[in-house]
Amino acid sequence: MNIDWRKYALTLLITLAIFGTAYYVASRFDAARVSEIRATEEKIALDILSTETQYDLLGELDCETIAESPVLSSELNTLASQLSVAEGNLGDDNPQVVTLKKQYSLLEIKDYILLQKVSQKCGIKPVHVFYFYSNAGDCPDCDRAGDVLTYLRQQYPDLRVYSFDYNLDLSALETLIDLKGVRDELPAFIINNRKPIYGFRDLSEMEKLIPELKTLATTSASRR
Amino acid sequence: MDIGASGVYFFLFLALYFEVFLLISFFEKQPSKKTDARPSRYPTVSLIVPCYNEEKTLAATVESLLALDYPKEKLSVIIVDDGSTDGTPKIASLYANHPQVTSMRKENGGKYTALNMGIEATHAELVGCLDADSFVAPDALIEAVKKFEEHPDTSAVIPAMKVHGPRNMLELMQAVEYTFGIFVKKMFDNLATIYVIPGPFSIYRREVFKVAGMFRHAHNTEDMEMAFRMHEHGLRIRNAHTAFVYTTVPSSVRALVRQRTRWSQGFLQNSMDYKHMFFNSRFGHFGVMVLPVVTAAFVGALYMTAYALYTTISWAGGRVLDHYATQVPPTLALPRLSWFYVDTSTMTLLIILVMSMTLTAILLGRRIAGANFGIGSLLSYFLLYGFIAPLWLAKAFAGAALSKQSTWR
Repeated sequence: MNIDWRKYALTLLITLAIFGTAYYVASRFDAARVSEIRATEEKIALDILSTETQYDLLGELDCETIAESPVLSSELNTLASQLSVAEGNLGDDNPQVVTLKKQYSLLEIKDYILLQKVSQKCGIKPVHVFYFYSNAGDCPDCDRAGDVLTYLRQQYPDLRVYSFDYNLDLSALETLIDLKGVRDELPAFIINNRKPIYGFRDLSEMEKLIPELKTLATTSASRR
Repeated sequence: MDIGASGVYFFLFLALYFEVFLLISFFEKQPSKKTDARPSRYPTVSLIVPCYNEEKTLAATVESLLALDYPKEKLSVIIVDDGSTDGTPKIASLYANHPQVTSMRKENGGKYTALNMGIEATHAELVGCLDADSFVAPDALIEAVKKFEEHPDTSAVIPAMKVHGPRNMLELMQAVEYTFGIFVKKMFDNLATIYVIPGPFSIYRREVFKVAGMFRHAHNTEDMEMAFRMHEHGLRIRNAHTAFVYTTVPSSVRALVRQRTRWSQGFLQNSMDYKHMFFNSRFGHFGVMVLPVVTAAFVGALYMTAYALYTTISWAGGRVLDHYATQVPPTLALPRLSWFYVDTSTMTLLIILVMSMTLTAILLGRRIAGANFGIGSLLSYFLLYGFIAPLWLAKAFAGAALSKQSTWR
């Protein structure tokens, strides 16, 4: 029986083209995500720069303005969730993802520094947690520790959680790790500049470790 | 990419390849429209109705055959009662004096023995059979005969099958599935690869049984084995897409799974018996394409189900353990309304593409058959099929592996 092998070849070409197109479209979506993250980072960087410049100009911060627009932009939270999506799609060793994470970490550190200034000048008592994790496969509890902090941040919108990839090759982050004396026993937490705490803590343990949470408004309270 | 996902990509590639192949076949040769033309000659036709405990449907089946638009002197009906234990003989006896109907009764020996008995009892040029759970459109025989006349090399003609009066979701699902089948059968006709000659109203030239032999037990799928054997003998099977047959379908999951397990297990076991045809270009697209791809689709469907189950269970299990360990109360997270969080991975896009091509094939089948179903039926198909089909595939696979005999009822 005669077989038209050209048809098999043509089908193969079309199928490969469809596969290629699907891959291309998926990568365009990922590229668009990276662009969106970059745009958000730029906006946050601009916000922080603006506040810093305002400080430099006036020699002091306009506490009223600051109170109206909190230093930690809520966009930093959005950025965190967007970054984790990009990390899931592109892989945590993707160069673009690593760059975005470095920028994000720098923004967190700058936000923290600014927060310190604001709290001194304006007499506010922010509650913040440094959270150090690792994606290198040496921290089985890190995802769960992240879940606990994410939940707390949802419950207490004014709680500032700064999360850092301990192994990120970023000099500013290394300085912070040295300054705070954080060992590579992850997950690690620093609550309101106290001594580092190591190891996983469940929700109730974490709440006990942050007694300042009682001073913060909860989402259920703010909804009322 | 993990090994599990690589397997999914492999089977998605195969599925796309096959669908593209069928669509190319469609555009190469689109099915012709139905015409009012009559055949130039009316060959003699005997239609065999093998039945076992079919007292409820036998009369309607015979009546639909007698109502066929065909010269009465050329058409005869042979009822072969395969040792029924219900009122079937009584129904058959109603036709005792009918000039067109012959009634026979034998000890129960399986459908293939009933068919063979009917074949031996006739000298008609064309021999057809109709399961006692199906009804034919009045012009179905004319359309089949026209196909024999149009292509004299045709040895058997299969009809386009539709579901008779689908009501519940499961029947609606099957109505869509049969419409998909109408498209696939037509394309298999273009490629000369039809591999089942379904029980409901398939018509053979009498010589087929001389050349290829009579029906065999063939793992309870004698109609499939006959098609394999015909391919082996180079006998051509064609599809008359304008010859409509209406068949009743199982209305419960249990009955459906039992029926499909028999079909699927029959495919696997017959494929084993005819394994020399796989990748053998002597048997054309049937050996090179259809046999390997249908077998791969079988394995692929099971693999994808296992993969989906594994990922879902491990994800859900992980979440439960996480909640237990973290004590974070489970929250019902609403999907975030931003394109950013929509899954646009290559795998998701490919799955959407495969499903879109399946939908295209269904709609083409609907056009070919002039079938009529709505969104509800389509939804039933896309929602249910993926969950139910793996049940019979797994059962058939296990049955074939253990060489267990599938059951008819």
